[in-house]
Amino acid sequence: MKSCRPHSPWTPWLFLAPFLALFSAFIAWPLLRSLILAFEQTFGPRTVTYVGLLNFRFMLHDPMFWVAVRNTALFAFGTLVIQVPAALALALLLNRPALRGRALFRLVFFSPTIVGTVFVGVIFSVLLERRTGLVNTLLHGLIRSWNPDFAWVDGFVMPSLILASLWLSVGFNMAYLLAALQNVPSDQLDAASIDGANAWQRFWHVTFPAIQPVLNILVLLTLVGSFQLFDLPFILYADSFGNGPNNAALSIVTYLYQTGFRSGDLGYASAIGWVLTLVLVAAALLHRRLSRHEEAGS
Amino acid sequence: MVCHFFAEIVRSLSPGICFVLGLGVVSATIVALLPVAPHDGLQIWVGDGNHAMLYRALAPEWNRRHPDLPLRVSLIVGPALQSRMLSGFYSGTPVADLIEVERGQIGQVFAGPLEDIGFADLSDRLAQEGLLAKINTSSFSPWTSRGHIFGLPHDVHPVMLIYRADLVEAAGIDVGQIETWADYFRLMRPLLKDLDGDGYIDRYPLTVSLTNPFFSEIFLLQGGGGYFDPAGHPTLNSATNVRILAQLGGWYAGPDRMIGDVNMYTGSGLRQLGEGYAIALPGADWYLGSLSVSLPKMAGKFKIMPLPAWAKGGRRTSVNGGTMLGITKASKHPEAAWELAKYLYFSPVMARRLFELTHIVSPMKTNWSQTYYDQPDPYYSGQPVGRMCLQQAPDVPTRPASPYFSSAIQLVNSALNQLMQVADRSATSDPAKLEPDARRLLDQAQRDLVAQMNRNVFLAGAKP
Repeated sequence: MKSCRPHSPWTPWLFLAPFLALFSAFIAWPLLRSLILAFEQTFGPRTVTYVGLLNFRFMLHDPMFWVAVRNTALFAFGTLVIQVPAALALALLLNRPALRGRALFRLVFFSPTIVGTVFVGVIFSVLLERRTGLVNTLLHGLIRSWNPDFAWVDGFVMPSLILASLWLSVGFNMAYLLAALQNVPSDQLDAASIDGANAWQRFWHVTFPAIQPVLNILVLLTLVGSFQLFDLPFILYADSFGNGPNNAALSIVTYLYQTGFRSGDLGYASAIGWVLTLVLVAAALLHRRLSRHEEAGS
Repeated sequence: MVCHFFAEIVRSLSPGICFVLGLGVVSATIVALLPVAPHDGLQIWVGDGNHAMLYRALAPEWNRRHPDLPLRVSLIVGPALQSRMLSGFYSGTPVADLIEVERGQIGQVFAGPLEDIGFADLSDRLAQEGLLAKINTSSFSPWTSRGHIFGLPHDVHPVMLIYRADLVEAAGIDVGQIETWADYFRLMRPLLKDLDGDGYIDRYPLTVSLTNPFFSEIFLLQGGGGYFDPAGHPTLNSATNVRILAQLGGWYAGPDRMIGDVNMYTGSGLRQLGEGYAIALPGADWYLGSLSVSLPKMAGKFKIMPLPAWAKGGRRTSVNGGTMLGITKASKHPEAAWELAKYLYFSPVMARRLFELTHIVSPMKTNWSQTYYDQPDPYYSGQPVGRMCLQQAPDVPTRPASPYFSSAIQLVNSALNQLMQVADRSATSDPAKLEPDARRLLDQAQRDLVAQMNRNVFLAGAKP
């Protein structure tokens, strides 16, 4: 229906104005300011010195930064390799109509996502505590030779983090995949069965191509989420400010936080943040290209 | 023209949008007109509940004497206090007249140019009023930057050895024979036990939290080591630190491990202490108070003694934790703030209340003769814990402040963790064998810290 009143050319801008104001104030300007900050050394906003590429050059030779990069990459790899397949396996299992109590199981597996990272971190630190933790107490009760002082959290830093993250996020990923599985055309599965395809062939040739776009998104989200690792080590290794024994839990974001907010070196923290951003953007672009290629192929 | 423009816009909006916009304008006006709580008076921010309780109790008396400047105490927990304080210092947002800061929070305050530090320099006031001589000297060190003192010290925090007197006495061990750590571990070795015969040690002569870097600091400072010299230069790889780290590596790991790993700030750690996982642990005066509140069922089972020295005739104490009270440069009432600060930290009345509530002894030497420090403490088997702490107070080591303190303790603790791995891998607890690795690891830590410090253009003039 055509409007009976003439519109001013400013009207669209008026409607856009709230978004533009908020976007400029809370996203565009902070981004730009943090980019400028990466080339500065500051002591609050009033004492600022331009240092050029010093922050980035220091990063290249900063052993702690590379420890953080190595830890984060290990965590991302471990999470990707374990979490996505585990979520897929759970989704396939809970998608079977014959399974009784499916709704309850779905809720149970999804519930750690609802309670959040801090809760999961606290639960894991209590469960895996030396001597008094449930796991060690149980194992020592069952197997006399089990060391009650077994250092799950301190001795196996990365596995502990990956396991806690798995418990936290597998249900979330499972929910995505469950939705995708329920959209797989049943007529294609029936046709494959009639043609004599076994369960694996039906999964590989029908189900998997159908859920691949969702899987691709999950891989990307898991990768990005893993590179933002911060709260879990911060809770599990609170004693050492999230570093863990021998810095084995130090992640890039934890290092960024410590640099910016414990040491007050906001310029260096910004530089770390921008490098992390560039790495994630590059990973996302690479992932997008690869997944497009795969989807086109399939 | 402008009126016409707005009239045209209003005409083009639907009634619903006009209603929402109107609602926005009305509510914004109401919020703007709401009365704001007055910010007059003398405001103090504290991060500790016990301190807040003590200072609030004082408010009626202060307000009677200063009706124009009522005392307002705000309890703001750690990270929030640090954020608000630094925001105030950096950007000029409102801050209190006085702020209590813990040692772990002060480094960032000292990171910039001297003139930009948000606390007032108290050096001249302290000198003019003769307080420098009256206050325990080492208590000033964490609050001093580039020769200027920015806070009144709240405490001394001498570290004592808290031990299970019931177990030690039942074993017939005379702690009077202990002078050094070597004596301690030799005499306590019989108590290193596998109690249930499962092949694992259930009781250690000593325990600390291995991941908590402040425990390494206790040993390093006691032995004359540390992280920085008085000029702020890093000393991570000093010969003393190397020697102490090698010894700690041998006690913490390897076949002759003597120290257990318990985080005594957690419920689980306290439970293990109560169950006899360890014979002893190092604890400052504040921890003596905290332990008696957290583990009341153990009353009468603990005793304290001076820390065993690293060598005969050596220092029998160390230091752990610390708090200061600073007057902000933004305060409009610096004289009143100074008067209040002195009263809160140094008056005999407040010193007594602080000791009775927390076991913390005053840094003001004129208070040390007070008789309440001599009262027997039933929790610690009737020992006069205040007096025992004060006997060690003059020997508490200095801790030069640095903005890089957090980095330094992390780097040294990381070196210690790596050394423990070396001890386990090479199956040795012999400090002589661990010393080359300790030196290598601390050399690396020193290089890393120097690289970090060299980046700071604001401290360039103050560094070597």
